[in-house]
Amino acid sequence: MAGVRTPREILTNRVAIVAVFVALAIMLTPIYWIASTSFKPRNLATTIPPTVVFEPTVSPFVKLFTKRSQLREQPTQEEYDAAPWWEQMVFDGGEKVVRNRRSGEVTMSGYGDRFTNSLIISIVSTVLAVSMGTLTAYGFSRFKVAGEDDWLFFILSTRMLPPVVVAIPMFLMYRVVGLNDTHLGLIILYTAFNLSFAVWIMKGFIDEIPREYEEAALVDGYTRMQAFFKVVLPEALTGMAATAVFCFITAWNEYAFALIMTNRNAQTAPPYIPSQVGSGLPDWTVIAAGTLLFLIPVAIFTFLLRNHLLRGMSFGAIRK
Amino acid sequence: MAQIDIRNVQKFFGQHQVLKNLNLTIEDGEFVVMLGQSGGGKTTALRAIAGLETVTSGKILINGTEVQDRKAADRDIAFVFQSFSLYPHMTVRENIAFPLRAVRMNAADRDKAVSEVAETLQIAEHLNRKPSALSGGDMQRVAIGRALVRRPQALLMDEPLGVLDAKLREQMRAEIKRLHIARGSTSVYVTHDQIEAMSLADRIVILHDGVLQQVGPPDEVYLHPTNLFVAKFVGSPVMNVNAVRLEGNSVVINGASQGFHFPDQMLGHARSTAGEMTLGVRPEAVLLSHQPSDGFVEAVTTNIEPLGSHDIVDVRLGDTVLRARTESAFVSGEGQKVWARIDPSQAHFFDTATGLNLRGAN
Ligand SMILES: Nc1ncnc2c1ncn2[C@@H]1O[C@H](COP(=O)(O)OP(=O)(O)O)[C@@H](O)[C@H]1O
Ligand SMILES: [Mg+2]
Repeated sequence: MAGVRTPREILTNRVAIVAVFVALAIMLTPIYWIASTSFKPRNLATTIPPTVVFEPTVSPFVKLFTKRSQLREQPTQEEYDAAPWWEQMVFDGGEKVVRNRRSGEVTMSGYGDRFTNSLIISIVSTVLAVSMGTLTAYGFSRFKVAGEDDWLFFILSTRMLPPVVVAIPMFLMYRVVGLNDTHLGLIILYTAFNLSFAVWIMKGFIDEIPREYEEAALVDGYTRMQAFFKVVLPEALTGMAATAVFCFITAWNEYAFALIMTNRNAQTAPPYIPSQVGSGLPDWTVIAAGTLLFLIPVAIFTFLLRNHLLRGMSFGAIRK
Repeated sequence: MAQIDIRNVQKFFGQHQVLKNLNLTIEDGEFVVMLGQSGGGKTTALRAIAGLETVTSGKILINGTEVQDRKAADRDIAFVFQSFSLYPHMTVRENIAFPLRAVRMNAADRDKAVSEVAETLQIAEHLNRKPSALSGGDMQRVAIGRALVRRPQALLMDEPLGVLDAKLREQMRAEIKRLHIARGSTSVYVTHDQIEAMSLADRIVILHDGVLQQVGPPDEVYLHPTNLFVAKFVGSPVMNVNAVRLEGNSVVINGASQGFHFPDQMLGHARSTAGEMTLGVRPEAVLLSHQPSDGFVEAVTTNIEPLGSHDIVDVRLGDTVLRARTESAFVSGEGQKVWARIDPSQAHFFDTATGLNLRGAN
């Protein structure tokens, strides 16, 4: 309603807006810092006071994706001129791109593979957690389950222990069954992490979907399964989207288990990015570039689901 | 179309018995209304017929075939819920077509059936809208359309007009009646609104605490209630119910100073009981007069409800009050002296202990 507002309300409103902007500025500062660092030349990355105005360069990204070594001697002018623009950037930084001795092909860094691993593991575990969670929640919501409350509490209780506490036993078990450093290993782990959360959140959403919807489908000649897919699922999508975002973020950002359980084949980006700090003097611009790219999938995913999220985050599925 | 037979059906929810030995036959093409207070077991009975609820024991037959162990989908029955049964993610057209998809009807026949139903229910212009864009009345029209579209054996409706406002309810009531006459589908309709029941039903089934109280056409239920519950539940304004005693041929309401004279033949059944007795008279059977005359006893008006077409007047006799129905403005105000009489042919005597009508079978 477009009522007339009192001066007091207008003032409160202004204060609120200012507060929101202040909070936003505080929260966005680290992201700005990462973003600006990832476009800085290396020598400007760690200046005190920080350099704010600079000529942006993509050399951190070139370095992020290639394997490099220290230049022992300057390249000849011919070598320099013959090199493509991105290789020249590496030369300018006092390094050279490592190439295969025989074919002369550029050796890529591990970042691309780690990033792909992160995507595969996070997406698959999210899909699994959300679909299993939705089915479980539906069962609890619609059927009489003996000891229902106890089961639900048990499911929740799996979250009460900080996961890292069991990292060592898990590592030993994984080694025995050959799951360490495999995609499957991390997928199982992250699915298990997220499942209890997914069950609880989805139970809330499904409880809110009136039973009449399915019952109408049941009398209209559909099986329980068809009724679930045709009627319940479309109504639960909002909740599933919200749950999926949470599960994806958890899996995407997970660090400790990824660090312990994987080293090469199935390693995800979070343990990889800081591991680059260790080799020689840390090149913060490369780390910043890796971090910036790492932020993008979550942003895209959240953006795609934003319409569902706006309703889903308020944890109410049905507008009555 | 179908005949539905409910035989000795019992339903327990845990320890709580919700249907107590229910027996009822619904004839082919009949419109039966289940009437009763909330919690009486009406919804449970309807859901049991539909197959949405199992019965603890007993049989349900549709056209002579036992269906109590069949799934809802295999009973070929349609159900209209009080609310929340239109799928919000589908358009009205998709909603109505939904049951036809279950039987894999081809698209052309489906469109034809949907248009036909939409035409009948006057919702054709809404076919491409989402349910959320409809008014409450139109939503229920769509729900009824979805139920009718596949021409089910029977149509079950659980308070389909319950969420609508009074005016719309009246209008929809007429539409449902018209639709039933046009289609002749066997229908079971649940409501707690006795006016709805009276106006729609071929037969009314009154259910209270899981026990079937009376089954009969509306006028029979109204004129010959088998027990006190039915007598009090059916009719508006409610029947006058008072403890009485017999003094010769005089029926004296406890607390009143003077009795009403009843002809001998009207008291036969009343005489047969030794126990406490309750008299039930509808307001229209309480006659008022401005002059003292034979059989009338003196009373004082205490409250008047003018209802336009008629008035409801409360009159005090000694310590008790009777409600009478009079023509408009028959009495002009409270505290007026009038004379009252009870029409013996419209009086009901009940055994207070059992609640049963002492006229027995009539
Ligand atoms: N699923 C259920 N579980 C337990 N009790 C129920 C269930 N459904 C209904 N009841 C109980 O059964 C009784 C009858 O309910 P219902 O059939 O809905 O009555 P009505 O439709 O006449 O209001 C009520 O006391 C209600 O609490
Ligand atoms: Mg009910």
